[in-house]
Amino acid sequence: MTLQDRARLALREPLVHFLLGGALIFAFFAWQGEEADPASRVIEVDEEVQAQLALTFERTMQRPPIDAELDLLIERHVREEVLYREALRLGLDAGDPVVRRRLAKKMDFIAASSAQASEPGEEELAGWFAANAARYAADTTLTFDQVYFAEQPDAAAARKQLAQDWRAAGDPVSLPASVEARPLASVAAQFGQAFADRVAAMAPGNGWEGPIASGVGWHFLRLRDVDPGEIPSLDSVRERVIEDWRLETSAAREEDAYRLLREAYEVRVAR
Amino acid sequence: MRKRWIAAGVAAVAVAGGAAWYSGMFKERADSAQAGNGEGTITLARYPDRPYWGDTHLHTDNSVDAFGFGVRIGPEEALRFARGEKVTATMGMEAQLDRPLDFLVISDHSDALGATKRLMNAPSALVRDPTLKRWQGMLREGGRQSIVATGELIDAAANDRIPEALRDPERQKKATKDIWQEHLRIVDLFNEPGRFTAFAGFEWTLMPDGNNLHRVVMFRDGAPTIGDTLPYPGLDTELEGLWDYLAAYEAGSGGQALAIPHNSNLSNGLMFAMTGPDGAPMTAEQAARRARWEPVVEVTQIKGDSESHPFLSPNDEFAGYGVWGWELGNLPLTEASTPEMYGGSYVREALKRGLSLEQRLGVNPYRFGLIGSTDSHTALATADEDNFFGKHTGNEPSADRAMAGQNLGTRQGRFGWHYLASGYAAAWARGNTRAEIFDAFKRREVYATTGSRMSVRVFGGLGFTQDSFGSDWVATGYAEGVPMGGVLTDRGSAPAFMIEALKDPEGANLDRVQVVKGWVDAGGALQEKVFDVAWSERPMDAASNSPVPDVGNTVDEATASYTNTIGAAQLRTVWSDPEYSEGQRAFYYVRVIEIPTPRWVLFDALRFGVDLPDEVVKIVRERAYTSPIWLLPRDAAAPAEDT
Repeated sequence: MTLQDRARLALREPLVHFLLGGALIFAFFAWQGEEADPASRVIEVDEEVQAQLALTFERTMQRPPIDAELDLLIERHVREEVLYREALRLGLDAGDPVVRRRLAKKMDFIAASSAQASEPGEEELAGWFAANAARYAADTTLTFDQVYFAEQPDAAAARKQLAQDWRAAGDPVSLPASVEARPLASVAAQFGQAFADRVAAMAPGNGWEGPIASGVGWHFLRLRDVDPGEIPSLDSVRERVIEDWRLETSAAREEDAYRLLREAYEVRVAR
Repeated sequence: MRKRWIAAGVAAVAVAGGAAWYSGMFKERADSAQAGNGEGTITLARYPDRPYWGDTHLHTDNSVDAFGFGVRIGPEEALRFARGEKVTATMGMEAQLDRPLDFLVISDHSDALGATKRLMNAPSALVRDPTLKRWQGMLREGGRQSIVATGELIDAAANDRIPEALRDPERQKKATKDIWQEHLRIVDLFNEPGRFTAFAGFEWTLMPDGNNLHRVVMFRDGAPTIGDTLPYPGLDTELEGLWDYLAAYEAGSGGQALAIPHNSNLSNGLMFAMTGPDGAPMTAEQAARRARWEPVVEVTQIKGDSESHPFLSPNDEFAGYGVWGWELGNLPLTEASTPEMYGGSYVREALKRGLSLEQRLGVNPYRFGLIGSTDSHTALATADEDNFFGKHTGNEPSADRAMAGQNLGTRQGRFGWHYLASGYAAAWARGNTRAEIFDAFKRREVYATTGSRMSVRVFGGLGFTQDSFGSDWVATGYAEGVPMGGVLTDRGSAPAFMIEALKDPEGANLDRVQVVKGWVDAGGALQEKVFDVAWSERPMDAASNSPVPDVGNTVDEATASYTNTIGAAQLRTVWSDPEYSEGQRAFYYVRVIEIPTPRWVLFDALRFGVDLPDEVVKIVRERAYTSPIWLLPRDAAAPAEDT
């Protein structure tokens, strides 16, 4: 193997690439010769930093550190800080996908947490409440008597039965004959949604009406009352509304925060 | 320079604010009515006047396997979905129930609660166990890899090879506690007496040699009563330990809890054994404890139907429903099933065994009621054929899910289409509160459906005749008889049953109502018979000698539709046992069969434009199974029930 071959082989070694790269960077900074900012050569370990270190220790060990341990923590902190600053000086943070993702995540978290913790303005809250009022309303309730027929009944014959004794009319069924102030959803669960909606739209006090089809058969119905659910005042449900507002607008507010930053950039994607 | 400090200050405040928000400083708390058992909160009906619908078996991202299978939505979304709101499923599809449920038990696995979520998010430098390290990598990779890792995890659990780090009880306890407390807070917040009932619960996942002995535990109480009680781990514990745990909970807290076995079909005969949990002949004490703590069984769910098997019930034309694939072996398919195991794996046989054990011991360990539930691992309780979000996240609606292999770690035997869009639990209660629904479970006044919301009512008594079916027959039923789940004493005449079935108000008509009877004959042998007792009008079939010919079929497979031109909206009858024999120990439960309707695979085929091979079952006979009513000989000891 000639010297030339050896050199060629050596040139393929990653270690050689690394050393050459290091030498180049060193040469670059030696030539550039910019004096480091003296402030950046000072590492302050003030009481706040120490308290933070002690707290982290305490969370893991369930007790505060003793002095010797705190000294060790400070030494470790200093070591990390020195290496961290030197790494920044060498620009090692650039082009590293992990660092990049971590920083982006942090930024995202800041945006998200400020969005989470923020309080809605009175006007915004009122507007949001108005737009979503239906979900805070009490249930619409229905009060009626009903007579069940498994098959579509002859109206005239059925009315004659009703006039005699409505409780004995129709076919026996496990559905309640009298429904007292029951929420629409509960009526729908037993009779079907279409029937419940239809009854809710009828006017009470008109005596027996029918036959009306439901999801389970046919009915004559005497509607006694429809009580539309009242919408409560914002103040009486304020806590719940704020919670819902936070939950449901946080994604949008996070997106807004990003958009604000994004607008300052022009993006060129090669096609 | 100054600007930078200001920016840093703002960031610090924002982070602190966010942290405080996450840590619960501003978190909403349930009021005392929501956090209690619901007693005294609402006006109750005079007697149970409607079935309340629920799912007692749902997994969210706190379940070790559900998270691994990919689900990324949790208890809050699960509760919102169950009460009828629209949520975004993990795979990005919007999901909403056609009709809300009335109650929900979130039953995340107690073992390693939240562990996969924690494993994925843990700093990788801190994960030292090589197996866990590999799983972490696969979970982070997501998709297929995440599912494979979870398959390995379940397999390891089934075969007792779980890494030490996951089974260390002290470590698990601490991790579990945080997740559990937060979970209880959310459950209470969604519990609204009279509107929607949210139950605390968990799944206890005992699985010796891969044979499924899982139970769902359900609490009657909220966070203040449950207090420091943590979910009971399934790894390294035993069935008697679970009963001890439940007893200790009730004694210590003044609350109540019960356990619901499920997937007996995957237990290879162990779920309803004739022996005690220790393998020795069952003792009267063991039988009494089983009956005390396990008043209901989940008979139908996504992973198959456990009512009966054609091998056990050769004369029952409807017995083969939902056994496809599942009958092959235990849960991870590490051991094949053989016919002699079926007796301990299916519910009807268990009810029969219970009679026999009762004859010997004086106590019936298997006097249980029946419910259905989903066992979804998607945080979405869906049991509707036209709105089925699948077993787990890898199985949410997609073109190929019906034919995808669905085996944990192996490639044999089970496919997507074997999953059932099933089932729901119906509870006859006087109102929608924790206490009312829970107590209905305790007295077994509950029934199972495979997803349809038909209403089924049964009263057993000794004096009912056709005339009993008056306008207030329900009041008569309660006054003069017992509802489903009850016990009758033989007085020398045949028991009679007032039965009514009403179709699902948004669903298909009913084909027939049947009574399934099981009994011990004079020679001590176990017998069963299915009686057709009410059916819709239909043309007689000269070729068939059956008194109840087939109802017909209106399903159009191409459009996944059917019509209610056959069947009936209501079926009712008073039926008296024509084969009654004095002194016989027996049970009677009602099975209601709907007309044929399209299965979920047909809706998939329509949505995604795929062709289904011939072997795929495309039509379903949705059904309800009620809790039985038992008939005891006059001289039998009073039913030993410690309630």
